[in-house]
Amino acid sequence: MHQGEGFRLERLPLGAKVIYPPDSLPGIRNVDAAIRHALLNPHGTEPLPELLTPGMRLTIVFDDISLPLPQMQTPDVRQRVIEQVLEMAASKGVDDVELIAGNALHRRMTPAELRRAVGDRVFQAFFPDHLKNHDAEDHDNLLHMGQTKHGEDVEINRRAAESDLIVYVNITLTAMSGGSKSVSVGLASYKSLKHHHNVHTLRHSNSFNDPPNSAMHHSYDRMKGVIDEHVKVFTVETTLNNDTFPPSMGFLNKREWEWNIRDQASYVAVKRANDLVPAKTRRRIWQSSAAPYGVTGVNAGLQSEVHPKTLVNVHRQQLTEVNGQSDVAIYGLPYICPYNVNSVMNPILVMSLGLGYFFNLYKNKPIVRQGGVAIFYHPVPNEFHPVHHPSYIDFFEEILTESTDPVLLETKYEEQFATDPWYIQLYRNSYAYHGVHPFYMWYWGAHALEHLGDVIFVGGNRKTTSRMGFRSATTLADALEMAKDTVGGSPSITYQHAPPLTLADVR
Amino acid sequence: MSIRKEIRQLRHGRDWRGRSTVPQSAEPHVREPEGREFPTAWARTRPAVAARAGLRRTLLKPVAWSQTRPMIEGTEYLDGVRGPVVFVANHSSHLDTPLILGSLPERFADRVAVGAASDYFFDVRWRATLTAIFFNAFPVERYGSRRLRSLALDLVDDGWSLLLYPEGTRSEDGWINPFKLGAASLCITKGIPCVPIALRGSYAAMPRGRNWPQPGRPRVSVRYGRPIVPEEGEDVRSFRLRMAKAVSQLAAEEDLGWYGALRAASDDALEIPGGARPVRPGALKSPAPKPNGAAEQVSHWRRIWASTQPLDEKRRRVWRS
Repeated sequence: MHQGEGFRLERLPLGAKVIYPPDSLPGIRNVDAAIRHALLNPHGTEPLPELLTPGMRLTIVFDDISLPLPQMQTPDVRQRVIEQVLEMAASKGVDDVELIAGNALHRRMTPAELRRAVGDRVFQAFFPDHLKNHDAEDHDNLLHMGQTKHGEDVEINRRAAESDLIVYVNITLTAMSGGSKSVSVGLASYKSLKHHHNVHTLRHSNSFNDPPNSAMHHSYDRMKGVIDEHVKVFTVETTLNNDTFPPSMGFLNKREWEWNIRDQASYVAVKRANDLVPAKTRRRIWQSSAAPYGVTGVNAGLQSEVHPKTLVNVHRQQLTEVNGQSDVAIYGLPYICPYNVNSVMNPILVMSLGLGYFFNLYKNKPIVRQGGVAIFYHPVPNEFHPVHHPSYIDFFEEILTESTDPVLLETKYEEQFATDPWYIQLYRNSYAYHGVHPFYMWYWGAHALEHLGDVIFVGGNRKTTSRMGFRSATTLADALEMAKDTVGGSPSITYQHAPPLTLADVR
Repeated sequence: MSIRKEIRQLRHGRDWRGRSTVPQSAEPHVREPEGREFPTAWARTRPAVAARAGLRRTLLKPVAWSQTRPMIEGTEYLDGVRGPVVFVANHSSHLDTPLILGSLPERFADRVAVGAASDYFFDVRWRATLTAIFFNAFPVERYGSRRLRSLALDLVDDGWSLLLYPEGTRSEDGWINPFKLGAASLCITKGIPCVPIALRGSYAAMPRGRNWPQPGRPRVSVRYGRPIVPEEGEDVRSFRLRMAKAVSQLAAEEDLGWYGALRAASDDALEIPGGARPVRPGALKSPAPKPNGAAEQVSHWRRIWASTQPLDEKRRRVWRS
């Protein structure tokens, strides 16, 4: 059971159901060859070299630091793809090449992080002038492409929009990512994002990891339609297997009953050591652990043809069939979420990870019934990263004290945070998340807040959990005792074992 | 949490090697592996036949004859019989096969193969090997679960006689269970004669569950009957009935004597195993059958009681010394 920057064993009550992902798939042995094959044999379009012409404007966009989680061991698969794309571009004599991190309203990536993602060669050749973060507040460099038939503004990075070809390099870790989300979100501005990052859309995305049933993805698709009228996008999507932890912590990749003596010994040793080291060191160690992910698939070509193939790969790795919903769902929340890589997981991110990401790791139906209880394991410390998450601090201290209702927050405060010049200044020039980002995090859990009867954090800080409108318990037994009011004395329990990530297909 | 508690929690549900039981829901679905038939061809080679003859003379027969007092009758009926035949016998004990093999004339004993339950005798290699070398056994599929192709036809083609127990299993209580069709259909398809054999007293000597005969050299009897030859156009069921009648008649000889049994058979007074009802070996039909035609239900203990009755020493001998 993951519990923030730590983990523990927990004996679940008899009869509890545990959802494990399928075994980690074997990675492709020769990734470079697979990439090359994908670029030369794309789906629905000509091979990449044929799309490249001398004198063209080529923009390579890649997923930012929020993917994958944890970061993968170098060389990053983005680096491998970009290097091959550039090699083809160089041989075709393309001079005007720009690389942009598709970070939308996320914080800018630091030079070191960019270097890690794209590799030394690319970094040295392009940084800082032609390897940049996307800036969603640089209005001169944004292009409004028009509106969808639902009246949604489509505004993306001007350089990308005016290119002859965009090559989008993606890592699809969950079924949510990739596809039309890539360009329409990664390169968008607040003006464009607010049409799908809102409470209404998220409440109707059941779940957002199941694109056909996600209102958010329908919106992405409409926007992508507008983008396709203006610019050609060549998508390269990669999928990863479930090797989330390095061999030294290999027991975390295994199911508990598969632990041999060595795994058990390393569990005790790692756990004791983890509990003993100072908090700061502990965080540094966790954040520096990189996943030895294997690449399970590389697909390139037209997004609409590539993405279904990518989703098949993701489902092959993550989809587990579950029989029916239960009264109580248990989730162990790990130390990392998409927004605290090399940073601090603040209470709002915990909320978004638990009620947003983990709760939504389902297809068809949530693993917990309507009105059921979700029990999360996380200490929910009252800690914020002052550089990365400045708006979160104000959101937590000033806004959540007023209300926790997403709709109220959206109508009353969102605009104010989104247009605050100081937050914009920090977003553009420092390494801060955009002012509106904490709101998005809160909306991320809107579907869960509406669905669940009660939310309990085991081991959670009382002050922070109650500020967010949740409850905290010391042990699982206490949490189940508290859940009695909602689901009775002998509830059915499902524990979604993560990481590695599992997408529960609830029947 | 203290480290002791931690370790206790870690060790919970694990054995001393640290292995945990895999939740049943996580066990992969495994199809029952397709049963591979134990090869028995080697047991019918010339050296194996010689070895078996040696073992029979030096081990099997002396031991069986030292532990019981067999009384053999009717082997003279086999004198004129040639070629492969199917021996069918009632079956109530592991003693049956040694008694029959030990009492058969040598020319048959060397050329007989015994049908043995594949799920019992051929489940592990060592047992399969021993059964094959001692009894020249070949696996017989009793419940048709694995749909093995029976060797019986090939064996008959190769000139081997077969010893089959058409009840399909050892009797639970010494009574004769209804015969299955296999042996009869084999005789019909191959047009070979069937030699009925009745064993009495073997249940009392070594019932199910014992692996050595009762002390005190209990008396057992092995009776061979006249070979029955399938008639032209005879169907399997009527041949099976003749087979069952012949075995019943031989079994009744123990109590009624040869002539008495012959008379009882011709008067149709013998209980024939059939339907779903076991009959006591040598039983006569009750004079007043139940009005509704229902078969008489005999309690379990009474069946065992009847089966374990020692065979009469001073039996009536009619026309035979």
